[in-house]
Amino acid sequence: MNQESISQHFFAPRNVGDAHEPSFIGRAASLRCGASSRMSLQIGEANNIIEAKFKAAGCNVLVASLSKLTELVQDKTTAEAATIGQDEDLLLNALGGLEPDRFSCTTLARETLLRAVRAYSDAARSEWIGDQALICTCFCVSERTIEETIHDCGLMTVTEVTRACYAGGGCGSCHQLIQEMIDSFGVRRPGAALVSPSEDV
Amino acid sequence: MIYLDNNATTRVAPEVFNAMQPYLTEIFGNPSSTHTLGRQMKQAIDVAREQVAALIGAADTSEIVFTSCGSESDNWAIRGALSAKPDKKHIVTTQVEHEAVRNLCDLLESEGYEITRLGVSENGELDLNSLRDALRHDTALVSIMLANNETGVLFPMEEIGRIVSEKSDAFFHVDGVQAVGKIPIDLKSTEVDMFALSGHKLHAPQGIGALYLRQGIGLQPLIVGGGQESGRRAGTSAVPNIVGLGAACKLANESDVHERIASLRDKLERQILTTISNTLVNGTSAAGKRLPNTSNISFQYVDGQNILLHLDAAGICVSTGSACHSTTREASPTLKAMNVPYTAAQGSIRFSLGRYNTEAEIDRTLSVLPGIIKKLAEMSPY
Ligand code: FES
Repeated sequence: MNQESISQHFFAPRNVGDAHEPSFIGRAASLRCGASSRMSLQIGEANNIIEAKFKAAGCNVLVASLSKLTELVQDKTTAEAATIGQDEDLLLNALGGLEPDRFSCTTLARETLLRAVRAYSDAARSEWIGDQALICTCFCVSERTIEETIHDCGLMTVTEVTRACYAGGGCGSCHQLIQEMIDSFGVRRPGAALVSPSEDV
Repeated sequence: MIYLDNNATTRVAPEVFNAMQPYLTEIFGNPSSTHTLGRQMKQAIDVAREQVAALIGAADTSEIVFTSCGSESDNWAIRGALSAKPDKKHIVTTQVEHEAVRNLCDLLESEGYEITRLGVSENGELDLNSLRDALRHDTALVSIMLANNETGVLFPMEEIGRIVSEKSDAFFHVDGVQAVGKIPIDLKSTEVDMFALSGHKLHAPQGIGALYLRQGIGLQPLIVGGGQESGRRAGTSAVPNIVGLGAACKLANESDVHERIASLRDKLERQILTTISNTLVNGTSAAGKRLPNTSNISFQYVDGQNILLHLDAAGICVSTGSACHSTTREASPTLKAMNVPYTAAQGSIRFSLGRYNTEAEIDRTLSVLPGIIKKLAEMSPY
């Protein structure tokens, strides 16, 4: 098992610190592991990551994972960064493999990244000025598109929406909004009973 | 390499090795045999028994029984004491015992015993009033360590012994593993019934321990078999190791290194506290209430394991106050019982010095440590 990369990143972590403003911050902590981490992303006009930085107090694997992630997401779009943040194997491979009992340390690092991307998505959504309200900032999917997709295909879950139009496939910050849309439309699938929000609770 | 982890284990002293060597080469034999070789082995064991008895102030050499390690001594003492008082089902111990006692007490609890675990103050000290309150007519055993392995905090064994014998007819067992060879001990002037020690903590090899059993106390053996150790501990005597333990006790008894170790520890501790910010000592600083070789220091807001790895890369061995058990990494029960704040417990490092440490080694440690902490502090999210 090649631990080289973990120790390289641990002893000489890349991108320690805070990204330049305007930046978006993700924080994660695990009481169980006694670890705390934050990642800050500076993001450009084209949803591209200009700068990724981290800080952490936790084990060597957490530090190495965050260091590696900041390298992996450099110059990527936020949607790509979110995909990287969801991919356990990608990070494990990038670190040259790891004992299974240390996987959770890499999970915390990925969660930190995902939260930073979500912070960006939330902010970008509320600042969006276009004729269409934007729901999924990662994949730039508008409210109208999602609405139509739900209606036309009779979709009932966020996963189905993601499969149909990408919305929700990135950082996940739009999942609740998509769920609310599914609930409030009370869509009917051919042959299925009407689902309304009141019955949902 | 700079070894500052002497509470974990110690290097075998050359004096110990030299004493053992003949028994690993030309002098061999089973001490139970009646022929010359056997008798020679038996004599060697007798000498070692005297040496151990002398170091811990036993009244008689017959009070020393050789075992395989400190944990065996603790297990035997506790199990043996309980079976000697079968109608008493209450045990008093502390929250900060070594695993050998702590985990055994947890097991005994599941077997139906009632356990009172005394807490400690923020300085790691025991409140003797809580001990007085805990003792009952059905208390079979009090098991309290002499020196804490993580912080070095000492519990007042003499006073505890007096309280136990005044207030109950329970046995008093002391896990003395971490203290033996580091501070003077005189068991004959105490009310201690049983006392565990381990060779590898005082420059004997691993795999040898002893239990002090006050005269008149007969414990059912833990290991049953041949009649070795006067029928108290079966199993062919590990003569080379026993000789090694004896030599190590002699070395500790005669040696004048103790003051030097104490002054090096004091220097290390003082300098860290004054040159590095956000540091604090875990464990009382009162004179004589802590092992002279141990310093448990919290570097707040940074990670202890990170410090350990950086020191290791610089050739310096220490240990942390939190252990990574697969998916959890919790502060040690000792630091938790002391209410050490979370961010301080995660950044705790135990420095434990020994007879082979030099001033140059301490200076080297003091020169690399600030840079490591500075680097980690810059990375800290707190
Ligand atoms: S906003 Fe990131 S997945 Fe939709």
